Amino acid sequence: MKRISLLIIICFCLLLSGCSLKQEKEYKLNLYYMDTYIYVDFFCNNKEQAEAMKTSIDSIYESYHKLSDRYNEYDDIINIYSIHNNDRKDDYLVLDPKLYDLLEYSLEFQKMTNNRFNIEIGGIIDVWKKYRELGEGIPNVKELKTADKRNKLVLLGDNKIKNNHPNLDLGAISKGYATEKVGKYLEEQGITKYLINAGGNVKVGLPNNKDYYRVGIQSPNKDGSLVTIVKGKNISVVTSGSYERNYTYQGKTYSHIIDPSTLYPAEFMKSVTVITEDSAIGDLLSTTLFLMNVDDGLEFIKNYNAEAIWVTNNDELIRSEGFSSYE
Amino acid sequence: MNKSDKILLIIITIIILVICCITFSKKSDLPKKAMVYYQNDLVLSIDLTDDSVNTYEVDGLLGKVVIEKNGSKVRVIEENSPNHICSKQGYIEESYEVLICLPNKIVIKIEAEEKIDTIVK
Repeated sequence: MKRISLLIIICFCLLLSGCSLKQEKEYKLNLYYMDTYIYVDFFCNNKEQAEAMKTSIDSIYESYHKLSDRYNEYDDIINIYSIHNNDRKDDYLVLDPKLYDLLEYSLEFQKMTNNRFNIEIGGIIDVWKKYRELGEGIPNVKELKTADKRNKLVLLGDNKIKNNHPNLDLGAISKGYATEKVGKYLEEQGITKYLINAGGNVKVGLPNNKDYYRVGIQSPNKDGSLVTIVKGKNISVVTSGSYERNYTYQGKTYSHIIDPSTLYPAEFMKSVTVITEDSAIGDLLSTTLFLMNVDDGLEFIKNYNAEAIWVTNNDELIRSEGFSSYE
Repeated sequence: MNKSDKILLIIITIIILVICCITFSKKSDLPKKAMVYYQNDLVLSIDLTDDSVNTYEVDGLLGKVVIEKNGSKVRVIEENSPNHICSKQGYIEESYEVLICLPNKIVIKIEAEEKIDTIVK
């Protein structure tokens, strides 16, 4: 009889554990920030916690959206727009620590790449934007050089920057950076199974009921086909390409990613996709690789714990050494 | 082990088997559907398993968004936005494809047996 009671207890334990596993539910969130549709999907076994997390995820993206916005100002915050356009008499501005950290992080990477990756080319981006919206013509070198006012940003410590109106652009980092913050937040909350897709930035944790996530890389040729499928868990996959937000004039397509060394859109390739653990680094790397030729990129990426796949202008696929281990 | 113990054991085994069956049978193939979201709310679900052609209307932030279903594909044929990006995109039909009308806060996703989980572009 004792043995039977034990068996019954074991059976109930199994049943109960089955129940608690079943209680883990999928939560989905659609957000619209940074000019992008953002999709967050996570598994949690506590409804109240999940709802609270949804609100927090929304506010993390919202705060980075506002702080990195270079076209609009918001009450009570100093953002990229107001760093450039303010009539304060002060010698310095005190930033939200979140923005200060983001600037510090970006500048550090900028120095490591000898300014190839550059957050201070807002003036040049404005000129290109003007032509893209006009739908006609391209800027000449003189116009671009006049608008080029780099090397103004000075970090003073204690969240202070010099108030000399630098024209910054965080488009190449803010989405990946905010996505990394959201991923870290979910992990801190004990969530291991999640997927975040913020446009060209995907970050995944552990999958549910399968061995890995399958992340499709869309072909830059806009034909609905896939370059390849990346299989993995706890990774970030980030693409930089010439096919989103581009501008065609007289049969030539200009990408939205400006090469700081020429002031013209980069045209080394159609797209490059990076696999890293950290989505912020992934964002920085994909933009930087887009600004150099493939051979230089193959060398450059060896310095990082990352893999990449390039789609060349001739639709050839080139992979870094370890990329195929994800296919 | 007496008789009643045996009966109890059999009953428990049956219960566990039934629960297992229910759990596993839930993972059957998903019928193909187009799911239309306005912000975070599912506002329309279109069955894509037959060959019929039909149009549907949903309210976006800037006005009506008209969606056409053609067999297993969907597209946006009318919407009010500055660049008409989503109506220019054409049909989608794969589980990883998505139509995004950002100014209208409308997203259309295909729900089907998945080849991939998400897409970067």
